[in-house]
Amino acid sequence: MNSAFPLSRRQFLQHSALATAVVAAPLILPSGLRGQNAPSKKITVGVIGCGNIADSHFPPLLGSPESVQILAVCDVDRTRRDSAAARVNQEYGNTDCKTYGDFRELNRRTDIDVVFICTPDHWHALIAIDAMRNGKDIYCEKPLTLTIAEGRALVDTARKYNRVAQHGTQHRSMKRFHDVAEFVRNQGLGKLDRIDCFIPPNNRFCGATWKPEAVPANLDWDMWLGPAPWRPYNANGCHYNFRFISECAYGQVTNWGAHYLDIGQWALDMDDSGPVSVEGHGEFPSSGLFTNCTNVNFTVRYANGIPMHCRTRYEGGGTVRFVGERGWLDIARDKMSASDKNLLREMQAPNKKIQLALSNNHHDNFFECVRSRKRPIADVGLGHRTTTVCNLGQIGMVLGRKLQWDPVKEEFVNDDVANRLRTRAMRSPWSLA
Amino acid sequence: MNAENPPAAPAAKPKKFVSANPADRYSNAGPSLDPWEECARLEYGADRSYAWTVREQVIATPPDGRARMEEKLLKSLATSGRTAAGLAFLGQMLAMVASAKSVPALAPLLSDAKTTESARYALERIAGPEADAAFRDALGALTGTAKAGLIGSIGVRGDAAARPALTALKDAATEPAIVREAATRALARLANAQT
Repeated sequence: MNSAFPLSRRQFLQHSALATAVVAAPLILPSGLRGQNAPSKKITVGVIGCGNIADSHFPPLLGSPESVQILAVCDVDRTRRDSAAARVNQEYGNTDCKTYGDFRELNRRTDIDVVFICTPDHWHALIAIDAMRNGKDIYCEKPLTLTIAEGRALVDTARKYNRVAQHGTQHRSMKRFHDVAEFVRNQGLGKLDRIDCFIPPNNRFCGATWKPEAVPANLDWDMWLGPAPWRPYNANGCHYNFRFISECAYGQVTNWGAHYLDIGQWALDMDDSGPVSVEGHGEFPSSGLFTNCTNVNFTVRYANGIPMHCRTRYEGGGTVRFVGERGWLDIARDKMSASDKNLLREMQAPNKKIQLALSNNHHDNFFECVRSRKRPIADVGLGHRTTTVCNLGQIGMVLGRKLQWDPVKEEFVNDDVANRLRTRAMRSPWSLA
Repeated sequence: MNAENPPAAPAAKPKKFVSANPADRYSNAGPSLDPWEECARLEYGADRSYAWTVREQVIATPPDGRARMEEKLLKSLATSGRTAAGLAFLGQMLAMVASAKSVPALAPLLSDAKTTESARYALERIAGPEADAAFRDALGALTGTAKAGLIGSIGVRGDAAARPALTALKDAATEPAIVREAATRALARLANAQT
């Protein structure tokens, strides 16, 4: 038995035994976890999705060969997966990294402990759930899921199978965001008046019409679409730009909103809850390939009356600003400012009454938790709550009317249309079942 | 002028076209196309502004007008020359407002492999036994991947009455693995919903 996973593996077996009895589906229980092939001390990794987000994960994953080893990569684009495998093999000086075009094959490998999910948003939930059913811990890129229903299903799966599941909101592991959330939580700004989140603009230029194109030979387009409604291939609607098509993502609302709205949730102590209303007025393109709004403008309001605004900013990039009776603090990845410099000094002071968990590195935190079986700094439970805020904004803007939200039941109050938008039917054969 | 050939009778005055669209009443530019028909003829990549007009009306209609929107969408569904993209659009619109009244129109589409996906967008969101029955009935009509998707929807909807049919599919040697696995998952979901 591997000492690195003594408790978790046992717990996993218990859960898996129960699941097997209920589901009678051997495919969810990898034979390797029954003991024939117990994992080594080195944490073994599979990377699913090898695009630009994965690029940011390779350096830290490849930088600790004594404790972490990438065994496999997966992408529906053969060029991308081959390139990723070559990078891994070059780093390790061997040819061991295997490539897959179908994530299910990677997830069923019994010698892989964790998977990094770096695909387009519409795939996150299904891949994460499949991985956890197969005994993997997961690091899932943001946004956690496309819909609210997917997020709830993902979190329930993590709990059922006792998996460590980190949301890729690395701001939670950056000290300045930790410090500002802790400062606000300790009433450092006095009574908080509001939170303003600014996100970059949506939608690259794309004409009012577009033409179906031949699918590149290296791409499995059907698998790329997966649960999303079928549409013909067009290069503008595939890599990266998928985020501007609402059937695959909600644009910068989920891309950057997942980061900055998340810090608002943290500062408001809403990691297991959320706002109680939303009102939005986005501007959506009436034609063309891209369907997400060009101008984001919504406000969620919490039970204590504090509003959190989210708006598009065409210059200056993303940021989150906390405004209270003592002034304001403005925090971005690369800069920090305040209405009074003393606020920044106070923010750094130690021994605050309320102290938030501190992580200095999102990957390290994840791998520590894989070993300790503790909840990571951006556990998927709070990731789901933040992704829900993004979804509330999107639904509020789509419907253009004020909506009441029940964060306990996770449903809109007396609005059937809004409630229907919490989920979506998936293209065959995919489903949340 | 030749007296032997009498002057031709004046041409009949063309009958004035009266558009059903109130927006045309004060226009001298002739009748406009009906977005509720044109949205059904949507093509992938083409101008989707007609569909956008319909979408805006569906979304902006208050609850007491949704039945009227549903009727208009069902009428659009029957438009001649309906395209795959148009059907997908209508399925997504019906997903927001459809009720049991839409089931008779959607059920035949659900059972057809060419149209089942778009019908499922709408039907999965319709609560009640009518839609449940449509899903169960379609089990015998679809095969392979489409059948697996259908089973997934049954699982998501939590239709306990489908349990015998799903149990049979789970163990059916004649069904492909994708169908048997979908049935297994759907049954697990039903079991979880029960506990």
